[in-house]
Amino acid sequence: MATDTVICKNCALDSKTPGITINANTGLCQFCEHFTPLSREKKEEYRAQMDTLFASPPKHRGTYDVIMALSGGVDSSYALYRLKEEYPHLRILAVQFDNGFISDTAFENAQKFCELTKSTYFRLVLDNNLLRDTFKKASRSMDAFPGFAKYRASDMCNTCMSIIKQKIVEMAIQTKTPFIVFAFSPGQTEIPFVTLTKPFMVWIRKLFDGQLKTMGVNERNLYLMDEDIISSTPPETEIMIIHPFLVWGYDKQQFKKECIRLGWTEPDLHDPNSSNCLLNAYAIKNHYDKYHIHSYAYDLSALIRQGNLKREEALKTLHTGFSDEAIREVQRKLNPE
Amino acid sequence: MNEVSRDIVQFLKSRGFLDGKNSLNEHESLTETGVIDSIGLLQLIDYLESRYKIEIPMEIITPENFDTLSGISQSVTNLKK
Ligand SMILES: [Zn+2]
Repeated sequence: MATDTVICKNCALDSKTPGITINANTGLCQFCEHFTPLSREKKEEYRAQMDTLFASPPKHRGTYDVIMALSGGVDSSYALYRLKEEYPHLRILAVQFDNGFISDTAFENAQKFCELTKSTYFRLVLDNNLLRDTFKKASRSMDAFPGFAKYRASDMCNTCMSIIKQKIVEMAIQTKTPFIVFAFSPGQTEIPFVTLTKPFMVWIRKLFDGQLKTMGVNERNLYLMDEDIISSTPPETEIMIIHPFLVWGYDKQQFKKECIRLGWTEPDLHDPNSSNCLLNAYAIKNHYDKYHIHSYAYDLSALIRQGNLKREEALKTLHTGFSDEAIREVQRKLNPE
Repeated sequence: MNEVSRDIVQFLKSRGFLDGKNSLNEHESLTETGVIDSIGLLQLIDYLESRYKIEIPMEIITPENFDTLSGISQSVTNLKK
């Protein structure tokens, strides 16, 4: 069967991935066929919008202007640095989620970049046993996330990222912080600015609650925005999520070089995909075993389409095998004797 | 099914949101049937805004207005006026 697999001529998606069809005439997948690159006008418009937002954040609200999700990996470390370079007046609270699988190096990197940028560092810690149980449930679930979410990320990573989002929005409400920054690549999101209104926050809380329930997670409140905090917030409350890489452009190699120059160190996780979370290799393999979808294929393919990544590099990443050592270590942590 | 609903179905199909399903009931919840989640919803809003050259105010993004084909197409039709 493997010989029948056709890879899209333009990106890294292939015909053996469920839901992907390669047009026999053009040799392109359906995403490449429908792709329209962002116009220069649109890019300039985004740039102007971000400059305006960050130039004068709403005053006298709280201690911070921005809460930023900081993993300690290349993307978020670089984003924090660049944000402060471009908008030095911003008061930033950087939140690192300790999901129980973060490398020591990633913790060190995150704190180093907070010192460098004079940002406040906060480590978000939740009950580790419950988290482990939740990740295990995510790894066993087949239907918690909609079809398309399965291309976006693995079930385990979708779960982890949803927790971070819920908790960061909660913190933003509590601290009256107007902006949240996520260092998602242009392959991970297409939307640079998202305004969260109170009804929408209530809705996304309900949606994630439903997903956790489908996985069989009982202790869900721990992972969700606090109901009292949401309900006591004024109805006109708005928080804006900003994805700056959609404005700046995205060049991972250059970001990495810049980060290393600034003192960032590379963790040794035997994992070509993630530089900060041990769970990653296990999550990718688990996802692949369940759905035959490599959870990075769509993201990397989007980067190729946009001109942010070379096709050969993406194919190399996708075809690098999973590190057995990293996978066994996670297995042991998820299923202790 | 009106033009807006047909466009939405076409969009969802082309982006792989329908997971092999071919049709959608106009009054079925898109989130509860697992077609979209909050991120999918934002992508759909983004698509509708550029497709119809409208701005969809975030305050109308509620389950009452935006969880079914009929609700979304009604909201979009109102904004197009
Ligand atoms: Zn393609």
